[in-house]
Amino acid sequence: MTVTVPRTRPRAARRAATGPPGRRPRRGHGISYAFLLPAGALYAVFILYPLAESVFLSLTSWDGAQPEKEFVGLANFERMLGDELFWRSLGHNVVWVVLGTAATMAVAMLLAMLVWSRPRGFTAFRTLYFMPQVLPAVIVGIVWSWIYNPAFGILNRALEAVGLESWARGWLGDPDLALYAVLAAAVWAQIGLAFVIFTAALQNVDTDLIDAARVDGANAWQRFRNVVVPQLANAITLVTVLLLTHGFQAFDHVWIMTKGGPDDSTQLIATYTYQKAFMENEVGYGATLSLVLTVISLIVSVAVVRVRERERISL
Amino acid sequence: MGLTVQGARYLLLILFAVLFLMPFVWIWFSALKSTAEINADPFGVPGELMWGNLAEAWTTGRFGTYIGNSVLYAVFVVPLVTAFSCLAGYALGARRPPGERLIFGAFLLGIMVPFQSIMIPQYYLIRDLDLLGTYWGVIVPSVALGLAFGVFLMRAFFRGLPQEIGNAARIDGAGEWRVFTRIMLPLARPGLITLVVLQFMFTWNMFLIPLLYGQDENLRPISTGIMFFIGEYSVDRSMIASGVTLASIPIIAVYLVLQRHFIQGMTAGALK
Repeated sequence: MTVTVPRTRPRAARRAATGPPGRRPRRGHGISYAFLLPAGALYAVFILYPLAESVFLSLTSWDGAQPEKEFVGLANFERMLGDELFWRSLGHNVVWVVLGTAATMAVAMLLAMLVWSRPRGFTAFRTLYFMPQVLPAVIVGIVWSWIYNPAFGILNRALEAVGLESWARGWLGDPDLALYAVLAAAVWAQIGLAFVIFTAALQNVDTDLIDAARVDGANAWQRFRNVVVPQLANAITLVTVLLLTHGFQAFDHVWIMTKGGPDDSTQLIATYTYQKAFMENEVGYGATLSLVLTVISLIVSVAVVRVRERERISL
Repeated sequence: MGLTVQGARYLLLILFAVLFLMPFVWIWFSALKSTAEINADPFGVPGELMWGNLAEAWTTGRFGTYIGNSVLYAVFVVPLVTAFSCLAGYALGARRPPGERLIFGAFLLGIMVPFQSIMIPQYYLIRDLDLLGTYWGVIVPSVALGLAFGVFLMRAFFRGLPQEIGNAARIDGAGEWRVFTRIMLPLARPGLITLVVLQFMFTWNMFLIPLLYGQDENLRPISTGIMFFIGEYSVDRSMIASGVTLASIPIIAVYLVLQRHFIQGMTAGALK
C-alpha cells in the first residue's frame, strides 16, 4: 500500500459544494490511507503475518531453534489424528463448552428473570453479579484454588459442617473431578456477562403478550417458555455463541489452577498447544494444534455473522 | 402472590450476591491475618488486623513492582490502541476509501480468531526483533491485539454519525485533520469512552501475553507476578491473600466508579 498525502482541500470543497453528499465520499483518499496507516501497519506485522505464518509452521518440524525449518508436508496433521492426548483434550473442550454454556445460561437467565421488573437494589445486584467478569482470571483462579483446598478450603469445611465429610476431597487433585471443578470457577466468572445481555434484551420483550397469555390461562413456566424465550431468541443465540467461542479458547483458569493436570485430566486444546509449543519446543506440531482452534473459532464466528445478519438486536 | 413471592425472589438474589461476593471477602479478610491464623480458623473474622501484611507484600513480595508494571502497560497500551483505533475507525467508517471492505474484513479476522492462533509465530517474531525481555515486547503485541476490537468498535461509531456535519465544516474551509479532531471525534465520545474502559480492563487482566513475552522478573505485571509468587511461596497464605487484595482493589475501584461504562461496554461489544 503506497500512501500519498496530496493537497486535496480545494477539490474536496468543490465536490462537497457541487453534488449532494454520496454514501461514499470520494475525496482525498490519500488522507484516508494515512489515517489507516498506524493501525494497519502494526496489525499487519503483528497479527496478520503470524496468522499466516502459523499455517506455514504447521507444515514443518521446526523446534524453534534450528536455522532451517524443515518442510514435512502433512505429517503433523497425520500425527495429530493419531494423538490420543489431542482427542482427549478436544473431548474435554466439548464437555467444557456444552456443560459450561448450559450452566451459565441457566443461572444467568434465572437471575435476569428475577430482576426483570427492576426491583429495589437492582443496580447493586447487577454490580455484584458482574464483578467477577472484570477481575483478572488469575485472581479468580487463586480464589477458587483456595475454595477447593483440601486443608483449609471453604468447600470441604462446608461439607463437614452439614455432615457430608465423606464428600470432602482434594477437588483439583482428583482426575475424575478436576475438570468440573475448574469449569465451575470459569462458569462462576462468566455468568455476569450473560446476565447483563439477558437483562438488556428483556427490556425489549413485549409484556402485553405475556398478559394475554396469562388471561388465556398459561402458567408461569408456559409463559416463560412460549412467550418470553421466543422473544429472546437473538440474545440467547448471541450468548450461546459467545460462550462457545470463549469455551474453545479457555486457557487462563486451567493454567492457573491445574496446568492441565492431574494426569492431563484438565488438558484443553489451548493448554495442550501451549505445552507443546513452548514447554516441549515442538513448534511445528504446536502450530498444527493451534490451527484446530483457528478453524473452530472461524466456524463459530461465521455462524454469528449469519445470525446477526438475520436480525439486529437493539439495546 | 405478593409477599411470599417477593421474599423468595430476594432470598435468591441475595443468595447469589453472597455467592459472587463471599470468595473475595474471604480473601480480603485473609490478607489481614497471619498464615497461622488462616490455617487455624480460615473463615473467622481477623482477630487483629495486620495491615502490615499489605505493606510487606508490596515490598518483599514485589507486588509494588508488579502493580507498577501493570500501570505502565496500561499507560502505554490504552492510549495507543485508542488513538490508532479512532484514526482507522474514522477512515473506515466515515471516509470509506476504496478497499474499505477488504481492510475491515482483515481487522474482523482478528476478532474471530483467538490469541492462541497467532501466539506461536508471534513469539518468534518478537524474539527475532530482539523485543523479548523488554517493555516494548509486551506493549507492542498488546497494542496490535487490541486494535482488532478497537477498530471494529470505532468504525461502528463513526459509521453511525451524519457525514453532512463534516462536509459542512469542509465547505467552511476546515482541513481534514481539523474535521476529524474538532468535529467527528467529539461526536464519537461514547464509543471512545467504552473503548478506553474495556481496553484498560483487557490490559490490566492480560495473562498470556506477559506469560510469553514478559518472563523477566522485572517485566511482570500483577497477573503473572502473582502466579510466580504462588509458585515460589505457596505456603505463605497471608502474603498470597495480600497479593490478591492488592491486585483486585484497583480494578474493582475503577469498576465501581465506571460501572455503567463497563456493563454497557461489554454488552455493546458483544452485540456490535
